[in-house]
Amino acid sequence: MSWVTIIWSMTASACLTMGALNLLVWSKQRTAWANLLFSVAAFGAAAFAYFELSMLRAQTPAEYGAALRWGHVAIWFMAVSVVVFLRLYLHAGRLWLAWAACGLRTLALLLNFMSGQNINYLEIDSLIQIPLFGESVAIAHGVHNPYTWVPQASSFLTLVFGVDATITVWRRGEHRKALVVGGGLVLFQVIAFAESLLVIRGIVRAPITLSLPFLGLVIAMGYELSREVLSAAQTARELRESEARMSLAVGAANLGLWIRDFTRNEIWASDKWRRLFDFAPSEHLTFDRVLQRVHPEDREVVERVMAEAKAGTGRYEMDFRLSLPNGEVRWIASRGGVEFDAEGKALRARGVSRDITANKKSEQESRLLRQEIAHAGRVSLMGQLASALAHEISQPLGAILRNAEAADLFMQHASPDLDEIRAILADIRADDKRAGMVIDRMRALLKRNELNARPLAVDEFVADVVSLTQADALARRVKLNADISSGLPRVWGDRVHLQQVLLNLIVNGMDALEGSSRPDRQIDVAARLNDARMVEIAVTDTGRGIPVDALPRVFDPFYTTKPAGMGIGLSVSRTIIEAHGGRIWADNDPRGGATFRFTLPLAEEAPPS
Amino acid sequence: MSGGTPVVHIVDDDAAFLVAVARLLKAAGYAVRMYPSAAELLTNLGDDAGCVVADLRMPGMDGLDLQGVLSRETNSLPVIFLTGEGDIPTTVKAMRQGAEDFLTKRGPKEDLFAAVDRALARDARQREERAQLRLLHGRFGTLTAREREVLRHVVAGRLNKQIAADLGISERMVKLHRTAITTKLQVRSVAELTRLVQAAGLFV
Repeated sequence: MSWVTIIWSMTASACLTMGALNLLVWSKQRTAWANLLFSVAAFGAAAFAYFELSMLRAQTPAEYGAALRWGHVAIWFMAVSVVVFLRLYLHAGRLWLAWAACGLRTLALLLNFMSGQNINYLEIDSLIQIPLFGESVAIAHGVHNPYTWVPQASSFLTLVFGVDATITVWRRGEHRKALVVGGGLVLFQVIAFAESLLVIRGIVRAPITLSLPFLGLVIAMGYELSREVLSAAQTARELRESEARMSLAVGAANLGLWIRDFTRNEIWASDKWRRLFDFAPSEHLTFDRVLQRVHPEDREVVERVMAEAKAGTGRYEMDFRLSLPNGEVRWIASRGGVEFDAEGKALRARGVSRDITANKKSEQESRLLRQEIAHAGRVSLMGQLASALAHEISQPLGAILRNAEAADLFMQHASPDLDEIRAILADIRADDKRAGMVIDRMRALLKRNELNARPLAVDEFVADVVSLTQADALARRVKLNADISSGLPRVWGDRVHLQQVLLNLIVNGMDALEGSSRPDRQIDVAARLNDARMVEIAVTDTGRGIPVDALPRVFDPFYTTKPAGMGIGLSVSRTIIEAHGGRIWADNDPRGGATFRFTLPLAEEAPPS
Repeated sequence: MSGGTPVVHIVDDDAAFLVAVARLLKAAGYAVRMYPSAAELLTNLGDDAGCVVADLRMPGMDGLDLQGVLSRETNSLPVIFLTGEGDIPTTVKAMRQGAEDFLTKRGPKEDLFAAVDRALARDARQREERAQLRLLHGRFGTLTAREREVLRHVVAGRLNKQIAADLGISERMVKLHRTAITTKLQVRSVAELTRLVQAAGLFV
């Protein structure tokens, strides 16, 4: 049994195995350059172990010389790949040192084939047998090559490079990396350097056994790389976990996901997203096809927002409509971001989409309701008419003013353009006529202000008004109760006018509660059939009530107790109720608020003529 | 880019008022252009300097919508609103969105002229700023990826030695990169460089 054969063969096979493993890693992941370099170094070490064994077993000086000579090819691969590995893996070490070490090593390889038997010996004259592990092995004796300093200098520079890189990495705080990889290299280089000095120069009589310490370095590097593989496995596990959490959240939030790859012009989308946009699960998606789903009126905006995000803003957020093949319109809220490469070129966009049709609908409804309430706030007919009049008339008046001013300025010019001024005067006349027509129209409208009375269900018309004011009441923290029996007989009245009266009373009640800190800020609307066979509707608030001296005057025109009131609402209400043949009055509630009541005749009784 | 005489773009759905305001501004020496609707203005708007005088209430796209769209355009002209009767919530909203001014239709003409002058001045200023920013971005665009990386470290106040260690390059290379950066960006000091980076809105 030869120990030498066993040890060197095992060293070579260990190196081969680790090299093969890392080559496999690189072949799966082509950016893992560290693994490729590692495998080159390991294969180099395996090859050198073979050449070393050949040298130990050499029978003639020629055999020894040839093995040493070809061994330098393996050394070149080992040395260069280790330097580059360090540089790539540690991101440290001075670049010029790396270049110098590799350059000298290459020079050494050239000289190795061009001068003498090899770079170490000009000529090997004899082999000396010395004992090793109980058998005899060969070492060389001969004339040294004068260029032997070249590979030695390269080894020295590699050592310096390694020390420098190790220090940088250590200072960076990556102590383990510095110790294992940097330390491993430095130790190996010291041994290699010492061996080449002592053995090659014949100071010590020992065989060249570089591959053994190099195996140590290979193990150190392999240990470090395998840590990365382990941590990658850990990351993969965490990634799966986070993906599971993500899809849970996405599912719960009803979000559709999509990713658009700009370079390949492809879109990936989750099933949920495909359902939102009405695409089949296997349908091929392009941006144009997605755009076809967007409502024609929103298409331009969507395109522009996406283009802007791609061009630089990086983020986008928008609401738009889809117009689906079945004619359905769907509101989508979409947000996302664009990923750029180092040169600022857009790589891919990611986003989430959500169906917000229901939100949009309720938003629209509440906006409509608010508008109606704001509108109804200016309750009196006169007020509405006055505001409409002012708006209609301010246009022609504004035009007249601007025309007159323009004419004034033109007249100040050195040679006034009389045609222009004539045109201005004609326009002024036309605008004056327009304003006159607006006033005539309003006048006609005022005249036509007659009752359009018919039988009305009390519970229905009260419910209409209550639903109209409910949101306002909520915003003003007022509880609005209406409990009207559907069994009441129908009344005779003009629905629109009566709604205005009730609305006015409720809004007044809320105004009365303004500033009240009572916990029971509320308004009750009630209705009953009174002894005179009329329906009596009462609106009661929990405010401070009406001052006794003001009670008889609240229905007078232009009388008001409100800071911003006009004194019109109640007087118009009285006009309307009396026109219906009813009565309206106010009194204070014993509990401390005010009650407004009005009566209306029943529909089955003879209507007022 | 453009230059030339700034144009006052007037938008009003009321043809009579539109013509009257245009006449008044023309008589006062402004170059004017008229549009019957906001959409018409948006389709015909070039990149000339100027400002917009718009009616607040218009059918279809109203004044506030117009302002919203304009503010996202590359040529985001300042907007002056005209309104029949100014109600407070609308005024507040318009001013929040960056309206240059808010005038009633029958207010003094001097107010209108003053507002137009202010709007044109603001447009000129913004135009200048945008041009400046484009110039800066152009210069930054000439930097290589490595130079950008070095620049990021320099403006973070790091020393050459630290940068060299961080990037794994020699101190001499850092110095070379710095020289290239200052030459390309036409600056002399780190302070100036930092100011420039901030102005261009980089690394934020």
